[in-house]
Amino acid sequence: MKLLKTGRWITAVGLALLAGVYVRALAFTPVERFQGPAQKIFYVHVPAAWCAMLAMGLVGIGGILYLLLKDPRFDRFGEASAEVGTAFSMVMLTTGPIWAKPIWGTWWTWDARLTLTLFLFLLFLGYLLLRGAVTDPGLRARYSAVVGICGLVLLPFIHLSVYFFRTLHPEPIVLKPSAPSLPGPMLITLLFSFGVFTLLYVGFVVQRYALAELREQAEAAHA
Amino acid sequence: MPDTVPQNAGFMIAAYTAAAVILVGYAVLLYRRSLKP
Amino acid sequence: MADVLRHAWRLARKDLLIEFRSRTAILSAVVFTVLVLMVFNFGRDPTAVAAVDLAPSILWVTFTFAAMLALNRAFQLELENQALDGLLLAPIHRASIYLGKLVANLIFVAAVEGVGLPLFALFFNVPILPVLGPLVGVLALATVGFVAVGTLFSAMTARTRFAELLLPVLLLPFMIPPLIWAVLATAALLAGRPLSELAGWLRLLAAFDIVFVTLAFLLFPATVNE
Repeated sequence: MKLLKTGRWITAVGLALLAGVYVRALAFTPVERFQGPAQKIFYVHVPAAWCAMLAMGLVGIGGILYLLLKDPRFDRFGEASAEVGTAFSMVMLTTGPIWAKPIWGTWWTWDARLTLTLFLFLLFLGYLLLRGAVTDPGLRARYSAVVGICGLVLLPFIHLSVYFFRTLHPEPIVLKPSAPSLPGPMLITLLFSFGVFTLLYVGFVVQRYALAELREQAEAAHA
Repeated sequence: MPDTVPQNAGFMIAAYTAAAVILVGYAVLLYRRSLKP
Repeated sequence: MADVLRHAWRLARKDLLIEFRSRTAILSAVVFTVLVLMVFNFGRDPTAVAAVDLAPSILWVTFTFAAMLALNRAFQLELENQALDGLLLAPIHRASIYLGKLVANLIFVAAVEGVGLPLFALFFNVPILPVLGPLVGVLALATVGFVAVGTLFSAMTARTRFAELLLPVLLLPFMIPPLIWAVLATAALLAGRPLSELAGWLRLLAAFDIVFVTLAFLLFPATVNE
């Protein structure tokens, strides 16, 4: 229960700071000259992407640790991270095309960011569906670990593959997406957003983990 | 080179709203799940 | 090591014999292949879309379906009479079980591909003979890729509810990359592009195969151990 309260507090702080990010990004960060206000979607989309990737990475690592050490806490963590990762993937999947339309001229394109978005979402979805279909906790934990590890290993292939695709089929684009070197105020907004999104990830995972723990305790009490 | 900045604030609002709905929505979902025994 | 291979082959042989005697799955796969090839051939406007542009995608769709048929059945076989427990109790390495299933599945899909490829060349009038070697290479690499992951996953989904639905959903993110690389490589081959252009895709396919086959061998015991 204490863990749950901690999680709730972290989430609350995270959401409050998110409001701060919104205010800063929308009102106090300069508009990009050539891309217009839509460029600011970047400050939400990229940190969400980072959190989704982090979530997937930790699901995979949790899986490896579970298979090696057989500690159910790792499995519980994987379950939590996958669900939270799904939420951040949904943020990516909605903000991605909304960002792509004004910047690239099309709702969807098979560039690195959007493709990875889709795959992360599919991987999380598969992971959660598998968990839903297996009732025995030990079996569920082992199966989840296997899928989580495979998912983690798939990610570099997706990245490489998109890189190859792009060098062979250069995309004609309406406007160039943001350059890697951002001017000061924009960089600060982005970093602030990264921090807040990571905090939200932590808050969500802690809560979700606590929920899983409570549920298992309740089931054990009923048994 | 455009003389004026593109007028695409609508997309920005849409994206920011979507993200907020999902994140706040998930937070609410977690909170409500924790209330059920 | 020799034992592992021997046992694996025995297992594969068993599965293939079972399939050969009933022939249901292979016939379904071949019929589907012929159906798809015919429908796509009649459905398209030859002046609007060149066969060569559409052909690689169609080819790979049919082979993927065949693979899914094989994978669905692979571990379903073992559910009857608790045959899987029998396998697990036998004094053989877990690796043999995986390898046996993998080989059986690969042979199944290869059989469908063996029928499908000439039909495909015939219906779509695409020149496969000049590039037959590399084409078969691409076929082999891509097939090994998704059948390897598919065999691992089917070991897990066989015992769940909605197994036939869950396996494709789970497998989708792992099938798409090798499939796309294969389609691109096939398209390049049929268009007469030099082999050097394919190098990227071939290397990705090979890397995928090596990594995922190894991973599957490492992870398979976790799917069947108690």
